[in-house]
Amino acid sequence: MRMRPSDILLRIGAYAAAGVVSLVFLYPYWWMLVSAFRPTRAIMSNPLKLFPERIDFSIFSEIGRIGGVDLWVYVWNSVLITGLSTLLSVVVTALGAYALVRRPDLPGFRFLRYGFLVAIMYPYMLLVIPVYIVMFKLGLLGSHAGIILFLALGPIQFFLFEQFFRAIPGEVIEAAIIDGASEAQILFRIVLPVAAPISATVALITFLLNWSQWFPILIVSKSPDTYTLPVALLSMNSELGSNFQGIMALAVLTTLPIAVLFLLAQKRVMEGMASGAVKG
Amino acid sequence: MTATIDAIRRGRIFYLFVMPFAVLTILFGVWPILLSIQVSFTASATALRPEPTYVGFANYAKVFADPIFLASLSRTLIYTALSVVANLAFALAFAMLLASALITRGNLFFRLALFLPVVTPDVAGYVVWRWLYDRSFGALNAFLDIVGLPAFAGLSGKDTAMAALLIAELWHHAGFYMIIFLANLAMRDRSLEEAAHIDGATAWQRWRYVILPQLRPALIINTVYALIQFLKTFTVVVVMTKGGPTDATNFVSYYAYQLFDQGRYGEATAMATILFAVVIVISMSAYLIGERGARR
Repeated sequence: MRMRPSDILLRIGAYAAAGVVSLVFLYPYWWMLVSAFRPTRAIMSNPLKLFPERIDFSIFSEIGRIGGVDLWVYVWNSVLITGLSTLLSVVVTALGAYALVRRPDLPGFRFLRYGFLVAIMYPYMLLVIPVYIVMFKLGLLGSHAGIILFLALGPIQFFLFEQFFRAIPGEVIEAAIIDGASEAQILFRIVLPVAAPISATVALITFLLNWSQWFPILIVSKSPDTYTLPVALLSMNSELGSNFQGIMALAVLTTLPIAVLFLLAQKRVMEGMASGAVKG
Repeated sequence: MTATIDAIRRGRIFYLFVMPFAVLTILFGVWPILLSIQVSFTASATALRPEPTYVGFANYAKVFADPIFLASLSRTLIYTALSVVANLAFALAFAMLLASALITRGNLFFRLALFLPVVTPDVAGYVVWRWLYDRSFGALNAFLDIVGLPAFAGLSGKDTAMAALLIAELWHHAGFYMIIFLANLAMRDRSLEEAAHIDGATAWQRWRYVILPQLRPALIINTVYALIQFLKTFTVVVVMTKGGPTDATNFVSYYAYQLFDQGRYGEATAMATILFAVVIVISMSAYLIGERGARR
């Protein structure tokens, strides 16, 4: 099929529009990256420069200590808190959603599901305030454990698992029961093996979401010793007379691992987030 | 009663499965909400003591008599309305563009460019935007200067601060609404468009009467999500404006947090309860209006 000239013009227009919008969306990343390598004075004299004057990693040793804590502590906290809360989230939510889907009739299960749904509707930053009181009462303030436990529950994780378990045909499980399989056997031999891909999706999305968390971590922490990278970035950004180049370098450290992970697994992440949202 | 106990006994393995989930939901979901509601009925100074003094609806009365809160509530509603419309219109337009026959190659690149900000840590994204708007460091005004446009006051201007936040938040959220629209567009019935085309419908008519009605599910989901999202706008305020200049971006959740920070627990939790009610009422009515339209 040959294209008419008006179609070609339309096509050029469409690409121009999509291209300009995409570049505007990507520009902040480029600016952040370039600014991390340019001395603050150079940025002030020419904020638009597209490439740094020279590549110089000394800024990362300059921000080696922030707020009295070593940079690597924040990195370690980010990895530890995000990793463990993700693991916990997948295990706890998979088992919980499975039980609620299989036996919604059991006493208390309906209440639990509604309780969960109300909790996730509650404005997050306002839920965190009473959570502070709860953490205080449980003696978990200032601990990694308190942060990890709080970050283990999330709506999208629950909806993805619930949707997946609902789609398992009832006949498969009934056949196993007739064959004399126990509930534990059904879970470990039949359900969990087929749930491996969805668990990977949930783990990936939880990791991305929890890496970005800052408010619950700030609230539960008693000192910067339990801060993750985003919280450290926020407190550095709030200081007066801030070190602009240092802020950009820390922003790069906070963003880069997540951007790489996302680009490696983009299909799974985008499809998972879309279907988790459609269910909710 | 014995039937219930019997059911629990026979389903005990499911209680075992659900136990960790139940413990976390109760400890960090149900209990804090009940606690928050309880604290909203106590005097702030005694709120954290084992035996707090109950003051009835005094905190709620105080909150509703507080001109800063009332201004903050209407500001929140205005910002939410503007943000929902801007985000959904932008996301829908871009999704239509990507789903059209005009763009074939490079589709994935455009999608990734818009979705990357969704997974970028919001603090990092907003920190960068804060400095992009800066008068001396920022790239934005340097660019406007070069192309000969007037400077944008951004976060320092009383009238522009809200717009500046809206743009930064659109950058962070719009990609999410876009993929919901794209998923819905991929599921639509294309034969209807061809039939309309043969019947002589114009491009606008095909979009308005054939495609748009099929996007109702995505529109409902996105509207409800965006309403919840923007009613509780918080992070962007903490990072970029701290509610300023002169309260121009002091939204309800930020104001409630400030009161909490000052130890005014009673009023802060009363505000939290009010905002919770507003979120539920507005998002439920948006959902019901959407569903009723679907049945008609």
